Amino acid sequence: MTGAAGGRHQHRSPYLWVVLYFVAIGAIGGLKLTDAINGPTGFILLALATGLLIPIARQRTATCSSKAMIDYNRRVLFSSFGYALGLGIAVTLWNNYELSRPAVFAISLLPTLPTFGVIWAMARYLAEEQDEYLRHRTIMAALVALGIVLALGIFWGFLEMFELVPHVWAWWVLPVWAIGLAVTQLWQKVRGA
Amino acid sequence: MKNRLKVLRAERDWSQQDLANALGVSRQSVNAIETGRYDPSLPLAFRIADVFGLAIEDIFQREA
Repeated sequence: MTGAAGGRHQHRSPYLWVVLYFVAIGAIGGLKLTDAINGPTGFILLALATGLLIPIARQRTATCSSKAMIDYNRRVLFSSFGYALGLGIAVTLWNNYELSRPAVFAISLLPTLPTFGVIWAMARYLAEEQDEYLRHRTIMAALVALGIVLALGIFWGFLEMFELVPHVWAWWVLPVWAIGLAVTQLWQKVRGA
Repeated sequence: MKNRLKVLRAERDWSQQDLANALGVSRQSVNAIETGRYDPSLPLAFRIADVFGLAIEDIFQREA
């Protein structure tokens, strides 16, 4: 019976978890924007919502073609947890305490270091991937994502300089790069590359 | 670059996964090479030749 239940669980589409993750993020954002929850509660819920990434990573692991990809997924998941946790702690401390400059420098590292973990995970993947085609595909996707970040960043920079758009914090480069990577990999999948 | 992977595989009644296992690569790699979307490196081309017991030029040819 347990096996049957496990089998059903395994056969759930990964898209279900992706949709659930984004619904949860949207709901938390909505609650925070409407002041239904305070900042710390929002970040705790955000950290909990990151747990929805576990089944996605597990399903990806089950269909992974290489050990390097399994290790990459594990490292990115671990870094994502660290990011949500670090961001929550940093924002809570910033909002509730009068911090000295060195302390602000230190709390800025809390969400930053886990994002370095994501970059490190990608570097390790490219170094450890033994399948040259999978490595080639990932490099191409990463380059396209980098191109998207540079193009958007430059364009946005000039729009901002001419006061057409609001200021955007520089840490957005990593989420934009990650979205570019995901979209490119999806595109590669659709066209069978 | 053209190749005869599909024909050679069919002659031996191998699936893409069988060939991938023999080469130590992913099935996606075999599919990409077979359909001409990816040209393998020289070391991988030699491995493919070894698996089929043929010379590289018997498997891969220039586009006409």
